[in-house]
Amino acid sequence: MLPTRRRTWAFLMTLVLVLAACGTNDGNGGGDATDAPPGATAAPGDSPAAPSDVEVSGDLTVWAMGNEGALLGAMADLFMDEYPDVNVSVTPIDWGQAVTRLQTAIGGGQTPDVSQMGTDMMGQFVATGALEPVGDAFDPSTFFESAWNTNVVDGAAYGVPWYVETRVLYYRTDIAEAAGITSAPTTWDELKAMAQAMKDQGGARWGISLGTKNYQEYAPFFWSNGGQIMNDAGEFGLDSPEAIEALEFYDSFFEDGLSPAEVPEGFDITPAFVSGTHPMFFSGPWHVGLITEAGGADIEGNWAVAPLPTKSSATSFVGGSNLVVFQDSQNKDAAWAFVEFMARPETQVAWYEEATVLPATQAAWDDPTLAGDENVAVFGEQLSDTQAPPAISTWNEIANAINEQLEQMTVGNASPADAAGAMQEQATSIGTGN
Amino acid sequence: MTQASGAIGPAAPGSGAAGPLGGGPRGSSPAARRLREQLIGWTFALPFLLVFLTFMAGPIAVSMILSLTDFGLRDLRNPLGTDFVGLDNYAALLGDAKFRSAILNTAYFVVVGVPLTLVLGLAAALALDRGIRHFRTLFRVGYYLPVVTSIVAIAVVWRFLLNPDQGLLNMLLATIGIDGPNWLADPTLAMPSIIVMAAWRNLGFVMIVFLAGLQTIPAQLYEAASIDGANRWQSFRSVTLPLLRPTVLFLLVITTIGYLQLFEEPFVMTDGGPLDRTLSISMYMYQQGFEFFRQGYAAAIAWILFILVAIVAVIQFRLLRSET
Repeated sequence: MLPTRRRTWAFLMTLVLVLAACGTNDGNGGGDATDAPPGATAAPGDSPAAPSDVEVSGDLTVWAMGNEGALLGAMADLFMDEYPDVNVSVTPIDWGQAVTRLQTAIGGGQTPDVSQMGTDMMGQFVATGALEPVGDAFDPSTFFESAWNTNVVDGAAYGVPWYVETRVLYYRTDIAEAAGITSAPTTWDELKAMAQAMKDQGGARWGISLGTKNYQEYAPFFWSNGGQIMNDAGEFGLDSPEAIEALEFYDSFFEDGLSPAEVPEGFDITPAFVSGTHPMFFSGPWHVGLITEAGGADIEGNWAVAPLPTKSSATSFVGGSNLVVFQDSQNKDAAWAFVEFMARPETQVAWYEEATVLPATQAAWDDPTLAGDENVAVFGEQLSDTQAPPAISTWNEIANAINEQLEQMTVGNASPADAAGAMQEQATSIGTGN
Repeated sequence: MTQASGAIGPAAPGSGAAGPLGGGPRGSSPAARRLREQLIGWTFALPFLLVFLTFMAGPIAVSMILSLTDFGLRDLRNPLGTDFVGLDNYAALLGDAKFRSAILNTAYFVVVGVPLTLVLGLAAALALDRGIRHFRTLFRVGYYLPVVTSIVAIAVVWRFLLNPDQGLLNMLLATIGIDGPNWLADPTLAMPSIIVMAAWRNLGFVMIVFLAGLQTIPAQLYEAASIDGANRWQSFRSVTLPLLRPTVLFLLVITTIGYLQLFEEPFVMTDGGPLDRTLSISMYMYQQGFEFFRQGYAAAIAWILFILVAIVAVIQFRLLRSET
């Protein structure tokens, strides 16, 4: 008896909900234009993209990785306030499984409508043919150029920048002062001298922590010395004189005992920086929060971030994530509307406040929320001079080869010239995947 | 069966002309029963067969085919459009220096790791069988726990243990004045560290099997040996070891096959580094197949690993059998 009654009750409740939902729709359709009508808010021409004139509705599945996956729900709610007919569901994906999950989804024809995609993943997923080209609805000049370029394969864009990160120098001001240095290094020579002084006079165990096998830390030196990973003809430049000179400089920190060559897998720089054993390192914006959290009041005011030191330029690595739409999406209009919404300056600022990731849309940086923070300003300054690795399908493999050769040089006994030669040889034999 | 057909047989005589024809169905009634029995048998076997065909035989056949193609990212949406390249993957593997070093690393791990695990396991089993009188269950559980513990939890604990600065091992070494090395980041020490960890992890299983083997040895044999004046070592050599031969064979084959497929330990502890010194065949296969998505190449590695395992297992069987 009870189950039946319950079922009836549930049915009635559902009926009420359905009727209520219909009522809302009718209400909006019928007029009352001042009270958040779906189409109207999207219509103003100041938004960068145009798909907003299309009536969008239906279900939309969005995959987001890591922390973003946990926080994107708040942004999806804002989107649904504007597009009440769209029902967005966010699926959080672990970063470690992101590539495999996406590959499986593509292979099985079960892709989401929209997904976050790391900038370094673009090449390989464009190669699968599963991504929808962006078309000309988005204006590339509204984004940081290097961030936009991570989406471009053979002249066509396959994603829209969502947020960016770039690498800057983190250093301990108290240890620097103990070593008689009061300002951030502006040249390579100053960086080297500072590392030496921090170790010798500053009392730190090491001068600087550099990755033994991480191209993302080597590439800024390579680019700042005028190197180019791949030219327009698809030829690699990993053994150019600029590359060898950059490798020699990089290796000198290990040769001179300023940087530890034996780094355990999964080494965490944060506690080492807080305790002062490793007084300098290069990293992205996430370390601002990590250091504050780990160091608390003890470290406050004793550290700073600074743009990269200059050689022929001061070019840093740009990473971050893009948003892509899949060809198999059943709801592409809503998908593009979502991407357009996420790329708007005001959404980008809101997303910065939610997830503390840096906006990829340049206009968002004028907002006082970002402009007022001096750490953030350093990243903003650095972003004007950045590069990203080429968006080719074999980039993973080439990055792996570069990392291995870096390790042969920093940990092993390979000379910078040998390492550069091997990088070039392996990259050429792997090719661009075309 | 013969009895059954005989019992039903007398029913056969019937219509003259229809005899040969009609005899068929009627005479088939034992055959029909056999068919029905077979059908029932197959029905019972069906669940396993389906699972086996879907999840074992099918994928094995596909991986064989895959190893003859250049299946990669481009073929993800249209798997049937992949190009056949014949034995190119296998030929490329022959010249692949990284694959060669993966084979050597795996061989190093097996050649040192298997005897170490077996000897330690046997020692633990002997101690628990006769040496230790108290807290036997505690020790058995203690030795066996690592076998049933998640590798991730083990990795966390071992990373703490082996940490160069705050690790327990180096702190102990420091008390006797030795400046401990960076175990997992030192190219020459990384593989030995992995071997010790793997031996510790698999010790429990080996010990349990040895314990079972030891308990099948009749106590009279030891009594007889001691009456003959054999000391402990002699009775171990002449009684325990020979009678444990089947157990040793079993463990040798099982452990070797398991160790040839070394993956988890380096995957969670060193990621194949430093300088690829802990890169195993399975890790290289994973890297090619899932990091670079060169599935054809990875399938070829899998088949070479399979052939290696098969050869080693056959050799071990032959050697130990011929000696018995």
